[in-house]
Amino acid sequence: MEPPRSSGVGIDNSGEYSPEIAETLRFEEEIQSLIHPSSFDGSAAPTGGGSFTALLGLPANQAVELLHDSGAREPLASRIRVGEHPVHRPFHLPLDCSSAFPSNATLVDRAARFSVFAAEGSPASSSGRLKAEPQDSDSPPLDPIPTGPAKRKDTGRSKCDVRLSLSFKSQAKVTAKKSKNAEENTDGDKLPYVHVRARRGQATDNHSLAERARREKINARMKLLQELVPGCSKITGTALVLDEIINHVQTLQRQVEFLSMRLAAVNPRIDFSSLDSYLSAECGPVTVRNGPGGVVVDPSLWPTDATAEATRRLLVPQFWHIDLVPPQLQPQQSLTTWERDGAAHSQLLPNPTTSLFLYDPANSGDTNVPHRTAKLKTAEDRALNL
Amino acid sequence: MYRRSFKDTKSSLGSPNPNFSKPMVALRFLRALSLVRCSGPGARSPSYRARGIRRAAYACMAASAGPRRAWSRALLRKIRRRPGRGLRRPRAVIRRRRPVGGGDPLEVALRRLVPGGGCMEYCRLLEEAADYVKCLAMQVRLMQTIVDSASHVNSID
Repeated sequence: MEPPRSSGVGIDNSGEYSPEIAETLRFEEEIQSLIHPSSFDGSAAPTGGGSFTALLGLPANQAVELLHDSGAREPLASRIRVGEHPVHRPFHLPLDCSSAFPSNATLVDRAARFSVFAAEGSPASSSGRLKAEPQDSDSPPLDPIPTGPAKRKDTGRSKCDVRLSLSFKSQAKVTAKKSKNAEENTDGDKLPYVHVRARRGQATDNHSLAERARREKINARMKLLQELVPGCSKITGTALVLDEIINHVQTLQRQVEFLSMRLAAVNPRIDFSSLDSYLSAECGPVTVRNGPGGVVVDPSLWPTDATAEATRRLLVPQFWHIDLVPPQLQPQQSLTTWERDGAAHSQLLPNPTTSLFLYDPANSGDTNVPHRTAKLKTAEDRALNL
Repeated sequence: MYRRSFKDTKSSLGSPNPNFSKPMVALRFLRALSLVRCSGPGARSPSYRARGIRRAAYACMAASAGPRRAWSRALLRKIRRRPGRGLRRPRAVIRRRRPVGGGDPLEVALRRLVPGGGCMEYCRLLEEAADYVKCLAMQVRLMQTIVDSASHVNSID
């Protein structure tokens, strides 16, 4: 993890946005490349690095101070300062994309804001310490992106980005207050923080920070829910969204009810014995006849990859009896009626013997429908291969 | 009878699988279905069977969601509690955290809908609700497919 790459990496999050971000990225990389060859000296150089500070629209030393403030980024910041010295050549780039900066700033800002959700998303990161950083309150918080911003958990990096974005932003909207907020609220430390952006004028003490973090967590979850429920993405406003979610849940529950009624109605006509055999083929033998009604599924008998289906891999890998039928069909196994039925995986019961769940002899009468079992097999195949 | 098998199925398949394993749910459900059917083919009314099937659906949904989810635990508890267990051993279970703020009617409604939603904070409630909705949707799709294929099979004859 090299610091020069860090801000580039951090900006990568928002890479999905625009070519402008790419330009920012390039700009930063230019700076970094600049920085590397140049020697590291600690002298503050608020001088005619000309274009860079001109971009900021601030007096040079103030800009430098901004950069300087992120303590963790000190090496980088100082390097940036150093980079201001020499060369106008690489700074052509910022001049070119200066027009892009205001939007860049917003986008970079948004990218920085991902750190909030990233940090929230992973509970490990929220060590409970909150860091307030000023932000634009214009754009709504975006969806948490779990992978990208994970890199930005490093406060130092993200702060560097914030610094840069702040400095860019100040060109767009010059508010000295904001930069002062930036200066106030940063310290350089390397603990993973939950990044909460303090809006302008909002309190930055711990309690309100905690509340804000919690609120943003809730908003993130609400976003997730919105995505799950169809038709909720367009709705704005928490109450309506919640309403929609509740409706959806109720609908689903009612559907379960109706479907179960339908299944119950349909049930008597369906022969589930072949189903049982199919199940046994999938899942392994089960001891049959545990008295009136109990079927003990012997956990030790679950085989692993009896077949190619994912289910088997999920089962407890114990190969005890391979009476289990792989789709290639092993005939044989005479252990119990279960296994005998299980032999017929793909051809469905060569011996149309009884069902596996032979609780009552009453059931055995149901199972002598081989022709139907074939059809059921395909049906069940369809059902299971959902 | 079939209730016992639910428990067994759950314990045997044990480990918390993510609910993306739809075949798992399918298997459990089909097994439970056959159990329900076998428990009393002619003797029971369809409505009784329907109730049993519904219980089976919820049970296997909860079982495949894994014990890591609060709603699945609560759902299973609710299902298994029914067979009139008079004697409740006082368990050292921290039940009611009592999240304050029953003021919002929407929140209250959501708590009632999601199993186990009475004790959670709002944040966790939303999380559990998301997972619950996902699992419910999958279960509904599964059941729909089964019903469709079953009726299709029947219509072929």
